[in-house]
Amino acid sequence: MRRVADILVRAEALDRRWIYLVLAASVCAALLSGLYFPDRPSDVVRPIYDHIEALPAGTPVLMSLDYSPSSAPELEPMAEALTRHLLLTGHPVCYVSLWPTGNNMIARVVTRICEAEFPEAAEGRDWVRLGFQAGGEMFINSLRDSLTARYATDMGGASLSSLPALSDVRGLGDFGLIVSLSAGMPGLKEWILYAGDVLEVPVAGGCTGVGAPQFFPYYPLQLVGLMGALKGAAEYEAALAAGYPEAVPRVQRATQGMGPQAVAHVVIVAFILLGNLGLWLARRRKEGA
Amino acid sequence: MIAAVHLSTELSVWVSALLTLMVFSFLYRDNPLYKIAEHVFVGVSAAYWMVVGFWTTLWPQVILKLAPAAGRVTHPDAAPGTVDPTALIPLALGLLMLCRLVPSWAWLGRWPTAFVIGTTAGYGLVRYIRSDFIYQIRATVGHGLVPTVDGRWLWQESLAALLILVGTLSGIVYFINTRQHRGAYGGVARLGLFFMLVTFGASFGSAVMARVALLIGRFQHLLGDWLGLLS
Repeated sequence: MRRVADILVRAEALDRRWIYLVLAASVCAALLSGLYFPDRPSDVVRPIYDHIEALPAGTPVLMSLDYSPSSAPELEPMAEALTRHLLLTGHPVCYVSLWPTGNNMIARVVTRICEAEFPEAAEGRDWVRLGFQAGGEMFINSLRDSLTARYATDMGGASLSSLPALSDVRGLGDFGLIVSLSAGMPGLKEWILYAGDVLEVPVAGGCTGVGAPQFFPYYPLQLVGLMGALKGAAEYEAALAAGYPEAVPRVQRATQGMGPQAVAHVVIVAFILLGNLGLWLARRRKEGA
Repeated sequence: MIAAVHLSTELSVWVSALLTLMVFSFLYRDNPLYKIAEHVFVGVSAAYWMVVGFWTTLWPQVILKLAPAAGRVTHPDAAPGTVDPTALIPLALGLLMLCRLVPSWAWLGRWPTAFVIGTTAGYGLVRYIRSDFIYQIRATVGHGLVPTVDGRWLWQESLAALLILVGTLSGIVYFINTRQHRGAYGGVARLGLFFMLVTFGASFGSAVMARVALLIGRFQHLLGDWLGLLS
């Protein structure tokens, strides 16, 4: 017992690099073993899925990819799952971005999902890439009445009036849902403030774990639903896999990441407990001496 | 499941994988490889922003509006539009902003700064009061403390509504400093502090979860896209 206590006391001075090494090894082991835990959609994520299911056929949905590569591991699985769902239900997706890196993020989702998984779907009819425009909240403001106020063409140079996906769309109020996948500002908050609350168009969101506590107060009055971090994406993937078992694999990208996520959390909690135990033992010995 | 090693043949995957390892090397100690990756990141980011800024803002919002014929550079078959002289206003404001680079003309840079701050504050004030103040008050107290569906009492929702109301009010009490935090009043303030500590803990937990998700993303790239070990 005394030996264990000695180790714990010495562990207080453990080089932080050992913690990094153990964390990296446990994440790698979990990834390589294919460990995952079945998830189910929470009450905050489920309404997004239900809202899309309840939309009248062919209603376009605006998806704003407001993130950069640094937060793509958390937000890209959401964009992929939502795109899958919208294309499966026949709702055209209109991609925009408030971030300069958004065009590349849009290109990745289009390549990986629209083109690879839905070869029969066509650009202009099933999805539209409008891309990044500067201005943040002022940009959203200018789109309220007319998309053509800021977009003469889509990213491929086609006139908006020639795109079947946007044939019934004049401004933001004509979309059945606005989804912002947001890593910061400008992002989801601006879509709520300048589009959702003004036009009373439904707004849903996805955000990083860092931003999640900021956005939960907007649900359910100002947000249809919210996907928080990789966990939120995994919950949405679970809803999609349950709803379309023949078209969607059970383990998608975010679900694949939740096993290593859980293992990493256990490792971190274990180090916190051991560190505190060591500190407590060291203090007790000092007081006893 | 573990698959056989199948190294990627894409140059971009190799570059991003090696840059990832160079950045990870900082966890051991600061070193030249990390410095190289850091400088490449800063340089590429600056160049990317400049190019995107030119093609998404300067080109369509200024150049094409003042010289529509320039549109033939990118779309040779496109019919040129009409000249829009109003584009001169943001162009002038943008040029004034650059005056800050010359110390004796720096005062001219205050005009576009004042315009941007004034416009943003003007637009934002109304939106923030409505969305972050009035709607949030409605969300806190508007749903009632005893929600029912078909005559059935929803005790979980009631408890959540009560917690939000108590947490919000006691949190506000904590920040009222015109009265000493003593007695029952001090107890309410301490309760507000407790709610805030729980909130900060949840925020910190979310931040840790986010960082772990990014770590997983990098390892998915290294083990999957680069080494082909993930099926």
